[in-house]
Amino acid sequence: MKLLAKYNRVNLITTIVVMLITGIIYYQAISWILTSQNDKDLVVEEQEVFDYVKLNNHLPQTFESDDQQITFSEAPMGSVKREFINTIYFKKLDSDDKPKKHRHSHDEYEAGRGLVSSVVVGNKYYKILIVESKVETEDLIRLIFAITCGVILLLLITLFVTNRLILNRLWQPFYNIMKELKLFNIADTQNIPSVETTTDEFKELNNAVVDMAAKAKYDYNTLKTFTENASHELLTPIAVINSKLDTLIQTENFSQQQSKLLNDLYGAVSRLNRLNQSLLLLVKIENRLLQEQQQVNLKDLAEEMIGQFEEIFQDKEIQLTYKLDNKEINASRYLVEILLSNLITNAIRHNYRGGSINIILTDYSLIVQNTGENVALQPEKIFTRFHKSSKSEGSGLGLTICHEICESFNYTLTYSFSNSYHTFTIAF
Amino acid sequence: MKILIIEDEEGLRESIEEYFTEAGNICETAATYQVALSKVNLYRYDCILLDITMPDGSGMDILKNIKENNHPDGVLIISAKNSLDDRLDGLNLGADDYLVKPFHLSELKARVTAIIRRKTFGGSNQLLFNEITIDLLSKEVKVGKQPVKLTRKEYALLLYFLANKGKVVSKNAIAEHLWGDGIDMANNFDFIYSHIKNVRKKLMEAGCGDYIQAAYGMGYKFTDQ
Repeated sequence: MKLLAKYNRVNLITTIVVMLITGIIYYQAISWILTSQNDKDLVVEEQEVFDYVKLNNHLPQTFESDDQQITFSEAPMGSVKREFINTIYFKKLDSDDKPKKHRHSHDEYEAGRGLVSSVVVGNKYYKILIVESKVETEDLIRLIFAITCGVILLLLITLFVTNRLILNRLWQPFYNIMKELKLFNIADTQNIPSVETTTDEFKELNNAVVDMAAKAKYDYNTLKTFTENASHELLTPIAVINSKLDTLIQTENFSQQQSKLLNDLYGAVSRLNRLNQSLLLLVKIENRLLQEQQQVNLKDLAEEMIGQFEEIFQDKEIQLTYKLDNKEINASRYLVEILLSNLITNAIRHNYRGGSINIILTDYSLIVQNTGENVALQPEKIFTRFHKSSKSEGSGLGLTICHEICESFNYTLTYSFSNSYHTFTIAF
Repeated sequence: MKILIIEDEEGLRESIEEYFTEAGNICETAATYQVALSKVNLYRYDCILLDITMPDGSGMDILKNIKENNHPDGVLIISAKNSLDDRLDGLNLGADDYLVKPFHLSELKARVTAIIRRKTFGGSNQLLFNEITIDLLSKEVKVGKQPVKLTRKEYALLLYFLANKGKVVSKNAIAEHLWGDGIDMANNFDFIYSHIKNVRKKLMEAGCGDYIQAAYGMGYKFTDQ
């Protein structure tokens, strides 16, 4: 849920509750004022009755007016308590000569306010009931209610619209910062630009983000430089070991055991060397240090590679089928060579004797398929560094390098497994 | 032939010196920039092995110095930096070849031999070893008068052996020379064995002596002794 929506919801609920409470209070107040007005009228009427009785010594004639009814009824002496009551006002709309069947439909019961009082005429005791219609009051209240509702509605609409417009604009810097964060690439040389804003909170957020990004980049670079330096420093000792081994085997008379040991040493040194070279290469690709571009004919290059590995295919009795369309790309030839060589080497290394490899080059993709262990690899792991099967003699960096190379060319490298073929697809 | 080894790393310098020192070769060494610079300007060499990174100066400056003074010495750069820029810089400045550390001594020897061959024999492109004649331009191999048909890799292998004759060349070095650095098939060099078997068979069928010897399962030696 968006912050704006959340905020709006809370805002709306409070507004409605507050408006309702105000409405009720308003209603009560108005109703109280009007009732006391009614009561005043009733008291005036009562006084009139009293005055009349005093003057004439008999009850006044009762007559009906539009909004007042007075009724007298005899009652035992002292039985009536003076009080104001809420009662019903029975209103006759038309004269009596209207047809009876219609009659009740023209009568109306309305809310009324009454005053019960008493008067003594002669020696008789009368109960006076003065009822006044409250219909005007009710109309007024209804009007007030309608106005209140209208105001609520208007307020809601205004809130909604202003929130939409203003809050969106207010939050704009935040969204800008978010966008920058999403685009943030730790390997990029570019820093996060600061976002223009006058809001303190966003300024702070922006500063924090810029600082954090700069620090992350710095740390990343330090780490990368370390990897690069470490690999560089390793080159010389490896070179020395290599050359000493080369010198050592010039001396004569090795026993079977010694030559086996030397062979193992050679293998280990060459692995160490390849591992180191791979690390250096990765750093270079990630640093985009191999940016030189040229027209590379993938078909020619692939054919060259296939020729390069011919003896190995034969040696492992691997059935190679390939179908290569003409495809030119603009890329670093050095990297493309590494990419192809890694993919083909992998296809050979993880194959079994007598297995098969398919290489298909089309205008939009390059596919390298190979038979091998009949179990799919974990697609999410194979491109991570040093992930390799326990049987693999590789450095565990080959596919990482392929992945990084493809990424630097903006190609996608994907893995799939079907029909006992492991398939690597580069989509251009 | 006369070779100058400019390399500050003692272990490497000694190994190279030892490997290159044989009958008919003179090896000199320089461990620092200053020594290297004075030697380069005092004496002439068939080939100078030049390390780029030295504590007291850059090998590139030595290279510039050689070229500015129009010294004809062949120059092979040995560098720890495997970057295309460095390689291009070196070659543009007039280096004859560029080899990245670490390398096999046999590879170094093959490269140096190739440089010297280009420099000294000039027009003559014939390589002789006993009854074997190799035409480097047309890439034809003859044993006596009998031509031998070799594949591209077999031909490269023969040249590699000739450059390293009398030396034991490891299987790793052969694999890397023929299939490049990318060859990542540790412990599986059977295909080299079959390759060497083929070359040997083809040469011997043409009447050539058996010069290729297996050396303790570690490698091979091309020798007429």
